[in-house]
This record gives sequence, C-alpha cells and structure tokens, in this order.
Amino acid sequence: MKPAPFAYHAPDTLEEALELLARGDDTRVLAGGQSLVPLMKFRVEKPAVLVDVNRIPGLDTVAEQGGELRIGALTRQQRLVDDELAAAAQPLLRAAGRHAGYRATRHRGTVGGSLAYAAPWAELTAAVVALDARLHVCSTRGDRTIEARAFFRGPHETALEADELLTEIAVPARAPRSGVGFHEVTTGHGGYLHVAAAAAVTVDDAGCCTDAELVLLRVGPTPHRVAVAAPLHGTELGTDALEAVDELVAAVEPEGDFEVSGTYRRRVARSLARRALLDAHASARAAA
Amino acid sequence: MTELRQVELEVNGVRRTGLVEARVTLADFLRDELDLKGTHVACEHGFCGNCNVLLDGETVRSCLLFAVQAAGHSLTTVEGLADPTGSLGRLQQAFHGNGGLQCGFCTPAMLLTAHEYLETHPDGGTDEEIREAINGVLCRCTGYQHIVASIRAAAGAPG
Repeated sequence: MKPAPFAYHAPDTLEEALELLARGDDTRVLAGGQSLVPLMKFRVEKPAVLVDVNRIPGLDTVAEQGGELRIGALTRQQRLVDDELAAAAQPLLRAAGRHAGYRATRHRGTVGGSLAYAAPWAELTAAVVALDARLHVCSTRGDRTIEARAFFRGPHETALEADELLTEIAVPARAPRSGVGFHEVTTGHGGYLHVAAAAAVTVDDAGCCTDAELVLLRVGPTPHRVAVAAPLHGTELGTDALEAVDELVAAVEPEGDFEVSGTYRRRVARSLARRALLDAHASARAAA
Repeated sequence: MTELRQVELEVNGVRRTGLVEARVTLADFLRDELDLKGTHVACEHGFCGNCNVLLDGETVRSCLLFAVQAAGHSLTTVEGLADPTGSLGRLQQAFHGNGGLQCGFCTPAMLLTAHEYLETHPDGGTDEEIREAINGVLCRCTGYQHIVASIRAAAGAPG
C-alpha cells in the first residue's frame, strides 16, 4: 500500500524542528524511516504531519568527550558500526549494531530512531541499557536527560513526550580490562531476532570478574536486565557461577508468538546469556 | 493535501526533476515520474530489498525513502551500471555468463548491491562475505549459488 497523505516539513535547524513538534497536531519525526515508513504503508501509522530531521546539521556526529562516547541521534547505524573510534571506545555498539537489519537499511536507519521506535527486537536498545547510556532529548520546553534504563516503557513505548526530539546518546567509555559479547537467534540472517543477549564484563588483574551486565531482548516487553554482577563477582565464570546465571535467566517469562514459543525463548536465552558472558569475559581477559 | 513538491536530483549522472506529493516514494518516483523501470518494487515494506538503489554511493531501500528526501542527492540505478555505450558492464556480464539470474526480478538490486560490495572488496572477498553482503536482497529463483559465483567471477575478471 501507499502511505496516507501528510504535510511534510524538512526544517534546516533544530529550533524549527522543535517548534513544529510543539504544535502537537498528530506529528511524527521522520529520521531514517526504516520503521516508520513501512508502518505508514500498512497504514498503521497515519500521521498528519511529518517533521523530517535529516537536513538538520550537527545531529550525526560521533565524538569521545569527557570519558563518554557522544553519538548524535541522526548517526546512521552503519556509520556507527564502521566507526573505529566508537568501536574502540565502546565495542558493544558494533557487536550489537552490526546485527540490526541489513546493510541497506543500516545506511539509512539511525541510532536515535532505533531507540525512539523501541522495537522489542532492536539490538541497540540492549546495548544502551547494558552500558547505562544517557539519552539527551530536546523540546521547546527545555532539554532533559533520560537514563536508558528508564527510557523503555514497553514495546514501541518510551519516556519520550510527543513534542520531544532525541538528539544525542551518551555512552560511558569502556572500563580498562573490560570486554563485551553479543549473541542472537533469528530465523534468517538479518531477520527479526527471537532472543538476544548483550553482555559486558570487567575483570581484575587476576582475570576475576569485578563487574558484569547482562541484558536480554524479547524475554519481556522491554530490554531485560539480569542482575548477574553479584553472582559473578570474584569468579572466573566457572560452572557454579554460570549455573547461578542460569537460575536468574530461568526466572524470565517470555511470551510466545507465531514463530517461537515462550519456552523456546527461555531455553535459548540461557544459552545466549552464557555465550555472551563467556565472550565478554574472554575479551576482558585478553584486554587485561 | 495534494500539495506537489519540486524534486531535483542527479540520477545516473544526469540532473532530473519532477513534481510529486511528499508521500511518493523514491521507487515510485523513479518508475512513474522518470520512467526508469529498472528499479523493481516487490514487497514495498523494506523486507525484500528488490528496490535497492545507490544513494550517494550507498545502498538504500528506495521504497522506504520519500522522493522529496532524495532532493539534492546523487542516485545510481541499474540503468547507470551499463557502459556509456549501452553494453553490459563487467558485473552484468558476469551475472549473464554465470547464470546469476533466472526470472531477473531481483537482478537490478543484486547488481547494485554487488557493485557496492565490490567497491570495498575488489578481490571478491570470501563467499561468506559475499553472502552477508547480499543477504538483504531476496531472490526466489536461484538459491543464490549462481549469484555468489557471478560476483566472485566479476571480481576475478581481468581489467
């Protein structure tokens, strides 16, 4: 199908864009359009007004500043995946982002768009939650910062207000002696994921875990953080430690859909959690 | 709500203009306004990749981009891959010679996607890399085997 008609604005400045969003008459932001446009074609989305932010300069820079990686919301996903500075500063972004869609959709799809759309299968949502990123949003009412861990409210639901624009994602740079891992299961290469696990592990001089994060996708309505730091602390991710993680993961209650059952998701989540954590631990030790 | 907008862009090295509604996709603009029927439209929702074109040298889904968004940009469609004389380019010849197509529907997108891939992998890379590069374009005939062989052949061909 073709999209329903809409009024189209392509402002050149952030201020103009925020003014347009503040008018509040059934307006949507058009960034990469890789999620929004298909929904408009299905006529699930019929916004009266589209504010195309692609011509606003300065929203697509990637820079390291004050111990954080600052990613402009309009940064294309493929650019983030290819960016050596970003990969060095925080390797989980590349590890997760390379699985997002296809190259042709990553060329257009933006980092901010993926987070604001908050699809349950969006790899980058797991990364920003695992990394405790902060999301900077603007509106004519003022700017504010939202913790990634408080941003996702449900499938396609976030803490963003209708008149707000996500402008920047600030990700803490990786700690010394840290590593990451990301694994997912999909029906086909590049397809929507059924389950994913993102992990980050920090070790001490002896290679024992001092901190760990694990985030699972599609075991609940939002990126699901599993509290693995305590059971893994001081361990080398041996059998006992991993069995403790298994127990935590077994507590999730994923829903099934027409492709896979909830039981399948829980079983796969256990394997992927182990693999992601073991990869993270191995790369942390290699970095030590 | 039928406000028409002027779209001016470069397509295959030639400046083109058209007058369209904002809701018209780049794929429909190419086919219906510019009469460039080489860009094929199948699922129209971004899944199949058959409408891939090169926007400033990078593959994009032309069904997920509005034509107004492409204003001021440079596009390459499959029509731009042939030699200036109109004869088949090397990559096209490789598809022809290696059975890289059956019905031909996905071929324009496959060619453009392969073209982009070979820009960064002039030696052809590995089969796994080729398969990953083309995984965003669905082909329902070939089973991909001959497409991979065609891309490998294009990389290995002399000159």
